[in-house]
Amino acid sequence: MTTPEGNGPVSPSSEVPLTPDRAENWHRVHPVSPFVRGWIALAAMAYFFGRDWFEAMFRGEPLWILTEGRGIWAVVVLLVVVLLLVGAFVLSWWFTRYQVTEEHVRVNSGILFRQHRQARLDRVQAIDVIQPLLGRIFGLAELKFEVADAGESAVRLAYLPLASAQQLRATILARASGVELDPEHPDEAPEAPEHPIVQLAPQRVVGATVLSGATVALAVVVVVIGVAAAVGYVADWGGLPVLLSALVPGMIAVAAGYWSVFSTAYNFRAAVSPDGIRLRYGLLETRAQTVPPGRVQAVAVSQPLLWRTKDWYRIKINVAGYGVSAENSGARTTLLPVGTRDEVMQMLALVLPDPGTEDPFGVFTAGLVGQDNDGGFVTSPPRVRWLSFLTWRRNGFAVTETALLARSGRLVRNLAVIPHERTQSMALHQGPVARKLRVADLQLQTTVGPVSPVVYQMDIDVARRLFNEQSVRAAAARRHSVPERWLERRQETVQEQAGAENGKAEDEQR
Amino acid sequence: MRSEPIDPPDISWIRVAPKYITVRLIGWAVSALISLAILSVPLILLLTGVWPGFPAWLAWLLAGGTLVIQVWIGLLIPRQVKAIGYAERDEDLLIRQGIFFQRLMVVPYGRMQYVDVAVGPLERAFKLASVKLHTASPQTNASIPGLPAEEAARLREQLSARGQARLAGL
Repeated sequence: MTTPEGNGPVSPSSEVPLTPDRAENWHRVHPVSPFVRGWIALAAMAYFFGRDWFEAMFRGEPLWILTEGRGIWAVVVLLVVVLLLVGAFVLSWWFTRYQVTEEHVRVNSGILFRQHRQARLDRVQAIDVIQPLLGRIFGLAELKFEVADAGESAVRLAYLPLASAQQLRATILARASGVELDPEHPDEAPEAPEHPIVQLAPQRVVGATVLSGATVALAVVVVVIGVAAAVGYVADWGGLPVLLSALVPGMIAVAAGYWSVFSTAYNFRAAVSPDGIRLRYGLLETRAQTVPPGRVQAVAVSQPLLWRTKDWYRIKINVAGYGVSAENSGARTTLLPVGTRDEVMQMLALVLPDPGTEDPFGVFTAGLVGQDNDGGFVTSPPRVRWLSFLTWRRNGFAVTETALLARSGRLVRNLAVIPHERTQSMALHQGPVARKLRVADLQLQTTVGPVSPVVYQMDIDVARRLFNEQSVRAAAARRHSVPERWLERRQETVQEQAGAENGKAEDEQR
Repeated sequence: MRSEPIDPPDISWIRVAPKYITVRLIGWAVSALISLAILSVPLILLLTGVWPGFPAWLAWLLAGGTLVIQVWIGLLIPRQVKAIGYAERDEDLLIRQGIFFQRLMVVPYGRMQYVDVAVGPLERAFKLASVKLHTASPQTNASIPGLPAEEAARLREQLSARGQARLAGL
């Protein structure tokens, strides 16, 4: 590289790197970005100063800083602080530059402490295009490039014009997929065609919110408070106001619960393209997530208590780049916020294209709502009945050729699916009580995320056999897993199953 | 607790160095003395008459209970150390541990992201080291403590070599 500091020519930010950048080509994000990023700081300042002024106005007193000629100084100080803030953001914008080469995406940032970051394109785990509320007003979007580091975004480009962000995403995905581009126009990476799968209607979102776990919590709170109030009234106890004030944090939590269900399910759409699954959602801040094929490490389908009346389910996924995603209350790791059984099956088919069984619908239905041995599930032995009297007929597992299904939960039903080639490690656990009953738990370990599949309370011999067989299956599956560049056909796969692969690849291109 | 262990019967386990029992016991003695000293403070204050108002039963319970629990933990240590074992198989490494709460873990070589070898001051004095395997999952808590230093080095090299040969993506 001729300019190791990344000080080469910087092209105007609106110009998106469609062709692979040479080492000396760098770009800047959109010039409005520092203001979009800095508005929170400015808003905080406005709040800080504005509140004083406001309160003083209500009391009818003259504001301290505006009396005795201090006003002019206050304005000067305010202006200087604002200018410094704006200056800092503008400087940070000026010193942040990025490039997307054939193999890597690089970002250099920082003024005093320079940071050069580079990530390999084919290590991409997911790409998000995010539009915060203010970004939507300006037509700007943030591009997040995730690698497998459990939640720390490898590369964030904030902000680009929306169309450029989408074009850049298509370019990155095309280069990461190893697809062979049209040799005559190597710089044209078309956005992969999408095929819509699920779109949530507003009624469903409202219904899901109303029937969510927050309602159960609300009911519990109301009952507890009601009983306490009645007792307090009868006993002529004076603590009622205290009790009611204790209600406030509870109510805030319930409202937050409603809000998180509503805002993540709002306008949710899922589509599939050769570049993977694409999810879009959001009320104020909109997000479009792309998860390339083979990046989903584990899936969990669950059903909160009240959703049972509607036969609705929620799907969560583990993706190595997403981590536990405290941000957005776990919305990023949600594959389907609320869906019917058919929609769940469709989404599962996307994540697990080859279910590895003759009757996928039967097996997965048994996993969702079944008990005992329906669908080929193996459950806990009856002797654990007194220990888990609700769940012993649900707790169980089924194995297909491609995945392991772990079923659990009676009131809140749960089904975890983990493809054999994604199992990281496994552990058998047994405590003293379990040993008396000759049962053990099998925990399957996957990357950081909301899904942690556990097969509960299996007969010790069954558990041991599953443990052994599963490690053999996982080892076999690893050898045939999807290549990292998902559209590039691997040498050995080509030889092994040339015919089948060709048909599949054409299918995906259509 | 003499019933069968959870691990498959046909595995020949490599056990950790018996010296590791001494290391654990020294560590245990230090922590036991400290916790005993702290939790006996009310009793001492009571007996010396500095704080006569403190309920006597609670003071005795705190000190006595700590003593009993610590002695019990100390008595368990030799058996706990003897329960730790590992076995290298063709495709994966098995690790077992625990007496009351048993755990048997399998880590495929192809899944290892890196291997740590850690040596504390006490372990160094006894020429011991612990090896820890990391996969992409933070739940993989696969550490083998109390290995002789040369065995730890051998295991690290062996694991790295096998990991490279069977490397898989995520």
